[in-house]
Amino acid sequence: MVSDTQPTRLYVKGVHLGFKRGLRNQYNHTSLIKIGGVDEKKDVSFYLGKKIAYITKASKAGKDGSKFRVCWGKVCRAHGSNGVVRAKFSRPLPPQSIGAPVRVMLYPSNV
Amino acid sequence: MVFERYVEVGRVALVNYGDSKGELVTIVDVVDGNKCLVDGAAAGGAPRQVISYSRINLTDLKVALGRGAKGKAQKAAWKAAGTQAAWDSSSWAKRLANKKTRAGLNDFSKFKVMCAKKSKSAAVAKKLKSYKK
Amino acid sequence: MAIFVATGGPKKAPKTAASKGKSPRMYPADDVPVPKKSRKATKAAPKVRGSITPGTVVILLSGHFRGKRVVCLKVLKSGLLLVSGPFKINGVPLKRVNPAYVIATSTKVDVSKVSVPASVDDAYFARSEAAASAGEEKFFKGDASKAVVSDQRKADQKAVDAALMKAVGSTPVLKQYLNAKFTLTNNDRPHNMVF
Repeated sequence: MVSDTQPTRLYVKGVHLGFKRGLRNQYNHTSLIKIGGVDEKKDVSFYLGKKIAYITKASKAGKDGSKFRVCWGKVCRAHGSNGVVRAKFSRPLPPQSIGAPVRVMLYPSNV
Repeated sequence: MVFERYVEVGRVALVNYGDSKGELVTIVDVVDGNKCLVDGAAAGGAPRQVISYSRINLTDLKVALGRGAKGKAQKAAWKAAGTQAAWDSSSWAKRLANKKTRAGLNDFSKFKVMCAKKSKSAAVAKKLKSYKK
Repeated sequence: MAIFVATGGPKKAPKTAASKGKSPRMYPADDVPVPKKSRKATKAAPKVRGSITPGTVVILLSGHFRGKRVVCLKVLKSGLLLVSGPFKINGVPLKRVNPAYVIATSTKVDVSKVSVPASVDDAYFARSEAAASAGEEKFFKGDASKAVVSDQRKADQKAVDAALMKAVGSTPVLKQYLNAKFTLTNNDRPHNMVF
């Protein structure tokens, strides 16, 4: 069995900032993610299409026998010019995930 | 604390922000308490510009320049003072250069650097231990 | 393969006649089914990005062997990469990986002397469906026998790795490099890193 801790970190830490929104409306289908160390728009290109995992721990094990639940998404595009990205998830992220860490994976890779 | 690096005409500074980041410039005029006129003609070629003090780091180096000196005069002054060589031999410049080469290393080279560091510190620790006894 | 060539048997008429420039002596009594000709282009060689070539050291990004640095041996017809650890160095056997789950480094190993057996192709790695489903049943019953690596695979691994180890050994520190895992640490910025 593979141990459930990852001795090697192969993802970049990110934070879920909130959702795409206007002044009065919020669009939950698109989340805004701040990726660690990405502070310029030109740095975003590396991360386009990369998978993002939002991981939570539940009290009961799921079908796969793990208590960890994962919501997968991917990086769509830059949001503004300071390195924040827009991401779509398979299901919109829950509101309590605002401010929570997400994992920005290094795949699909193009290097 | 006594200040040793002043904003003054002829002071050499390092730009730490914007397009000219990492380039050396010479202060050729002081505009006001917040900004000065700099020119990189003698060094990296940063354009003559008015720049805020927060965007430059002053160095120990200084050249003899008249206020508002043009490129030619700057180059002559740099040459006379041997400024480029003095900068290159400073530990600050060396550290920057080192940082740059490290950033450009590929994965395998980084690994080799890590190995070299390890063997160095092991050798140092061994020697140190022998002195302690 | 079902290619329509009417030779021999009762349905032989058209071809011989056509070659001699005569009209057929008789029409075939039955309608001969002609297989529909596919207009699909023959499967083009798989494309992988230019940074991946035979001999490139690649970093695996997911799966059991995530973080391992392995040597790419060739690109299989399916577009998957054939990699080997080598097994002796880091425990990664001959296996297929999807190039999307791999970071190609700029480090190359000279694999010109490494000959991969022709039998090692996509079919070599394919799991038979029966075996997979049987294994699953057993697994849930709790009496799954441990997967056995066939002697054939062991032999192939040995043959490939023997030459590969020699190539790896010719560069100092490369062996330790392949043995070490890749990991991101604080202040590592993959978008600025050179691999």
